[in-house]
Amino acid sequence: MSYLSISKVTKQFGDTVVVDDFNLDIEKGEFVSFLGPSGCGKTTTLRMVAGFEIPTSGKILLDGADITDKAPNQRNVGMIFQSYALFPNMTVAQNIGFGLRVRKESEDMVKQRVEEMVTLINLEKHANKYPYQLSGGQQQRVSLARALAIHPQVLLLDEPLSALDAKIRISLRSEIRAIQKKLGITAIFVTHDQEEALSISDRIVVMNTGVMEQVGTPFEIYNFPKTRFVANFVGSLNTSDAEVLDPAKGLVSMDGVQFEAAEGTDARKKGDKVKIAIRPERLSFASEQKKANVMDASIENITFLGSVVRIQVKIGKTKFNMDTFNNPFLELPKIGSVEQVTCSREAVLVLDE
Amino acid sequence: MSASSSAKANQLSSRFIYVFVSLYFLIPLGATFYWSLRGAKDVLGFEAYRKLFADTNFLPAFSQSIVNAVATILLSLLIVVPTAYWVTLRLPKLRPVVEFITLLPFVIPAIVLVFGIIRLYSRPPLLLTSTYDSSRVLLICVYVALSFPYMFRAVDNGLRAIDVRTLTEAAQSLGANWGTILFKVIFPNLRVALLSGALLTFAIVIGELTIALYMAQHTLGPYMADLTRSKVYEPSAMAIVAFAITWAAMGIIDFVGRGATRSKTKVAID
Repeated sequence: MSYLSISKVTKQFGDTVVVDDFNLDIEKGEFVSFLGPSGCGKTTTLRMVAGFEIPTSGKILLDGADITDKAPNQRNVGMIFQSYALFPNMTVAQNIGFGLRVRKESEDMVKQRVEEMVTLINLEKHANKYPYQLSGGQQQRVSLARALAIHPQVLLLDEPLSALDAKIRISLRSEIRAIQKKLGITAIFVTHDQEEALSISDRIVVMNTGVMEQVGTPFEIYNFPKTRFVANFVGSLNTSDAEVLDPAKGLVSMDGVQFEAAEGTDARKKGDKVKIAIRPERLSFASEQKKANVMDASIENITFLGSVVRIQVKIGKTKFNMDTFNNPFLELPKIGSVEQVTCSREAVLVLDE
Repeated sequence: MSASSSAKANQLSSRFIYVFVSLYFLIPLGATFYWSLRGAKDVLGFEAYRKLFADTNFLPAFSQSIVNAVATILLSLLIVVPTAYWVTLRLPKLRPVVEFITLLPFVIPAIVLVFGIIRLYSRPPLLLTSTYDSSRVLLICVYVALSFPYMFRAVDNGLRAIDVRTLTEAAQSLGANWGTILFKVIFPNLRVALLSGALLTFAIVIGELTIALYMAQHTLGPYMADLTRSKVYEPSAMAIVAFAITWAAMGIIDFVGRGATRSKTKVAID
């Protein structure tokens, strides 16, 4: 039996369905991210687990207990908010100890636990400071410590890094993940940033307009997107209209150029209109190594993006981006020249129109 | 006109307005103060103030007003703060309705209010004017209503300045009930707003005349009106004392408010 079970949960506001038939089982100690654009229902789902919203239908079970209708202050879940939500009238130590004092723990116990948490987040010297005296990153760490101090059964993080600048975001997300692993706490992390979700999650739930598009490991989500939305939302993608030539062999035609796909054509018939999608990093020059698909392409443009060089090529009538790692000895083709580009069968994704 | 001469012209006109408005307020105040110093014949001194504080009717009236003010503030806080909190948190669509209700005391003249109250509460089943003490309780209730525009606005502004919803949810996620949330999280962060509302209410109650007079209460307002009829210099002294109390109250708000503002705006950098 899973540790946290969200079963057939739907949430409606009036006539608007914001979460539709959400089903997910999370194991103890797992770090799951809800990823999607604004308005997809990820925060609403998180808030239902926290108890701030009550599902219209469905059940939420935590360690076997039904918490669907329980008040938020009876669920023993720790929550971290985008705006930190530290109590301005309390010091760091008082913020962290708040939940323990509410539970009427002894002062000795509170002091010990606060010291543990302050050490965990490396803010020993700041224990007597007020939130206004801390930076954004420090405030969010205090927020994390406050949520963890009460030994929550689940840790809920609602876009905790969105208000921070890029560098701090990267270091803090690693810190959060390290602490979560060390303590073995089950966590749900809501974000619209795919890099965040991909880098720290055990599994990712990709959501769109209240519906679960796909659930899988970061590797699965990125490399084997099951829907057009997931393929487009996670990572960058080249897409083009195509037509099925031979469903059994996985052959499709785009602008008269033939592609062979590893999967996605079995349930189709000849002449079906589809979309093909290829990730920029899956294309390469055939001169390096030939793979299953080899196409002639004219070089349209070359852009340096730092560690990556983006080469725009035209295959048939369609322009594709091809990404390659930058290095000082890289020999780049001339713009306007025609080269052979290649990709594997697995790199060609066949999606619905 | 060039930019620098335009800026100079703006500066001059600002200074002129500042001086003019200052004189507009300070001249009558200065004249009142000067008049209050003429209590003794041919000598400027504080004789009028001495007589004022020696008057056997002054201290009872003053202390009664103080007690009325404190009772009004406490009752008003008990009603307004949970209301404003709940409206902000759960019923934002009701805010315009609540704001309208709290503004009603501005619309109804005091004389109309007091006669309406006397008419309603001077006969059964709502007989509350039969004794001095019951009338006093009724007076405090009226003052609570009069304080609504100031108290609600102050508390509402305070609530808007803090992220009430997220702070509430954070406290709930840590296991806090509504009492703990209000007294440990919300009230402490509304310190300046509560003080501001309280001191405005204090100023209103201390100086209120019409309602207290018609309800036959011996508070500072009727005392001052009496003084004006019978004395020459003591009313000016009383006016200066009333101003001093009000300025002290504003000074306290400003002092406490500066501390809170400093705490909200100072942010360290990563």
